[in-house]
Amino acid sequence: MPGDLSRLLNALGLIAVDTVLALAFIDQLWFRDLPCPVCILQRAAFTAAGFGLALNLLFGPRPSGYGLTIVGAAVGAAISMRQILTHIVPGSGSYGNEIFGMHLYSWAFIAFALMIVGCGLLLLDDRQFARSEPRSNRLSVLPLAAFVLFVVLAVGNVISTLLICGAGFCPEAPAGYLIFNDNLSLTELAQTL
Amino acid sequence: MMSLPFLLFACGLGAAWLRQRGVAMGFWVAGLVVLLVLFRIHMNDVLNIAL
Repeated sequence: MPGDLSRLLNALGLIAVDTVLALAFIDQLWFRDLPCPVCILQRAAFTAAGFGLALNLLFGPRPSGYGLTIVGAAVGAAISMRQILTHIVPGSGSYGNEIFGMHLYSWAFIAFALMIVGCGLLLLDDRQFARSEPRSNRLSVLPLAAFVLFVVLAVGNVISTLLICGAGFCPEAPAGYLIFNDNLSLTELAQTL
Repeated sequence: MMSLPFLLFACGLGAAWLRQRGVAMGFWVAGLVVLLVLFRIHMNDVLNIAL
């Protein structure tokens, strides 16, 4: 597999991660489905897994980049599996909205598993790691867009998590944006103005 | 506290953009360690179960 094709596949993989993180934001903001602490950790694991693909885009494909993605996805799979197991007994309830008949943590586990398998398949071809010519540092439009969107979503999650949880730990079942209610009393401040 | 992993990963992406691959990987490792610690803390949370 030539280096350029490998870079394109890494860009498509990162766009897939971007899509997952963006859909989580849509579910949170549009459908008002606030993430639980473990759900936030799954988002962080998606960011950890996408990080390796982002490095492959910037520095060219390297086994270590795929390694970061596999480790991040394995951690994410463990976290989502823990949440699935919490609800696996019939009648034990669920958390959040369903999408196409499954909850977000079930989809997350499938996505993490697909990432591990995808990286395994990409690692099968050694030719992408052999540099026959100096690689340009300039990114084409698609990898650049994937990278920039990934950074925006990572920073967006910093802000979102701060708004939901404040500076401390998240409540087990968040009912609203903590920073507006308790920490800074911005809601009361807005009402008085 | 819960936003710390995202912050560390974002810093790592910034370092990668500045062509500092080693620093970027350092931020990634730090972020993953924090993520694992937070997972250990929240592992036994009682979730908002809709029975």
